Amino acid sequence: MSEESSSVVIDHGKSQWSDLWKKEDFLAIWLGFIIISVCVLAYTTFGPKAEFAEKIATANQIQEAELAKAPFKTIAWHNAQDAKKLKGSSSAFGKFASHWTKTPGSWKTNPMDSLIRSESQAQALNEKGMPKYEEAKGKLEVALAAAVAAEEAAAGASFQNQALNDEATAKISEWRDAQKAVGDAKKKVGNKPYNYIPTLIGLCIFIALIFGAGIAMMGKSAPAFLQGFVIVFLVAVLAYILGGQAISKQYGFGAEAWGVLLGMVIANTVGTPKWVLPACEVEFFIKTGLVLLGAEVLFNKIVAIGTPGIFVAWVVTPVVLVCTFIFGQKVLKMPSKTLNVVISADMSVCGTSAAIAAAAACRAKKEELTLSIGLSLVFTAIMMIAMPAFIKAVGIPEILGGAWMGGTIDSTGAVAAAGAFLGQKAMYVAATIKMIQNVMIGVTAFCIAVYWCTKVDCVAGKTVGAGEIWHRFPKFVLGFIAASIIFSILDQGMGKDLGGAVVDQGIVRGGTRLLRGWFFALSFAAIGLSTNFRELAKYFKGGKPLILYVCGQSLNLVLTLAMAYLMFYVVFPEITAKI
Amino acid sequence: MTEKSLSVRLKNFVLTMGTALAFVYLFLPFLTDSFGVLSRMSSYLDDNGIDPTRYYYTDVAQVKEGEDYLRFALEEK
Repeated sequence: MSEESSSVVIDHGKSQWSDLWKKEDFLAIWLGFIIISVCVLAYTTFGPKAEFAEKIATANQIQEAELAKAPFKTIAWHNAQDAKKLKGSSSAFGKFASHWTKTPGSWKTNPMDSLIRSESQAQALNEKGMPKYEEAKGKLEVALAAAVAAEEAAAGASFQNQALNDEATAKISEWRDAQKAVGDAKKKVGNKPYNYIPTLIGLCIFIALIFGAGIAMMGKSAPAFLQGFVIVFLVAVLAYILGGQAISKQYGFGAEAWGVLLGMVIANTVGTPKWVLPACEVEFFIKTGLVLLGAEVLFNKIVAIGTPGIFVAWVVTPVVLVCTFIFGQKVLKMPSKTLNVVISADMSVCGTSAAIAAAAACRAKKEELTLSIGLSLVFTAIMMIAMPAFIKAVGIPEILGGAWMGGTIDSTGAVAAAGAFLGQKAMYVAATIKMIQNVMIGVTAFCIAVYWCTKVDCVAGKTVGAGEIWHRFPKFVLGFIAASIIFSILDQGMGKDLGGAVVDQGIVRGGTRLLRGWFFALSFAAIGLSTNFRELAKYFKGGKPLILYVCGQSLNLVLTLAMAYLMFYVVFPEITAKI
Repeated sequence: MTEKSLSVRLKNFVLTMGTALAFVYLFLPFLTDSFGVLSRMSSYLDDNGIDPTRYYYTDVAQVKEGEDYLRFALEEK
């Protein structure tokens, strides 16, 4: 590996037919698509798709009949709605995939709890949650009885009495809230014993073999890779364990951050053993993970909250990204364009995932990706705590606050946490806005890749031909975009309910996502193991990355708040009223 | 790095790793316990199973909840 290709997130070369089976970009696409194809077949042709379609059709018939009968959504309508909430991941394949891709779990005081939970520990946890569950069940029974009585009263008046209809709607809503409370309490009594050590060993072997095959096809030494991979995997597992601690999680310090930190501490103190370095295939892990991530970039999601959501997430975000990049170049005069664009994407789009995609698309150095993610983690932790407190203090309405946080806090988990702290509706709006913004990473990665090929990597004054652009273009981005388009069409074609059950809750959450998470965790561990502190410090010189992030985020905060107010309270107040 | 003896390197490893672990597992819990707002947030996250470290929407169960809620709320009738 040349000096350049060993330090950048992506490499490139002259295009030949053999690139299709020898180059990392194409191998990442093939590997990603093999995994995707297996998951698609497992959840459609050989899976529960037909059975789900039948159940959903039956539920739809009930709902149509109920809607024709009453002017509000009746109890039977809601029961039919619940019957449609099917999960492909509950199928045999889903359970198998989930079992063999388990990550170490959460813990509070004993790290071993993340790997092993005994029967007695599970029982103790369940007993602890039981009183709350029983109480919630009792309330549910009362709420259901009240809802049934109110609906019967409304039906007795042939649904012509508005007061009775309103009363029934209110009681049904209370019953639904009680149902949600039971669902939440039930999670605390469903603890089961586990031992993840054998599954982690199995997973290590599986991932080592699939990437080892790719390494061999690239003409590198597969045995050398396999030997070092054990350590990279071990660092990733340790990172999951350390990041699974409750307080570490609270501050957003998860497996990815621990992977980089742990790897860097090893690399810069005891030193990464030379035999481990051949397994630090950062680019291969990232590119394959990104192809799998493409399956999660579903364009249909952008309409989840109507036009206001599109404006908040899809108009403000690119404006902030471009302005921050220009600010970095023209005002701060950032020496590295790649670092500039990675920080801009990370801060404006959706944190870690956008940083990974942008870094790979523009061939950023590993240190630049690490620095961007580090900045994002610090500011995410601060904003996650400060924003809900500020919103409450100044009395910003819940919906506006939710939209503001959804559009500005980097990571989705932190958005949900901050939103939940403000209120349930705020959480729903914040999480949905973030989801719409998440979908932008496909477009962002593609645009950055095109811009870099056609503008940045050019000699001033010279035009670049189509062939040269193709040579330079990071091909894995095509796999990423193709997966996104295919899955968006698949999801749209199946309709909301079946698409949700088969694509979202099956192929993605019960398949591709599980391995994508591991591939990214491995890439962060590999980044850490091959990063030099001094190299990293060089990029932070003068504090320009920090200034860029702060200035870009300030612009983001102002524009997002203004747009959210305009959309939710001036242009579309009727949507806000419905929420 | 390679010039340093193994004992020095091990000492550096223990010190650096120890500092990082102490920051996350001693200082941050102290911070959480010291401020009511942080303590409440910790309990809230624990009770509701929210994981702030998850970065993409498919990793966060609350996103699906929000999507379902909004679909229901914005539908006619």
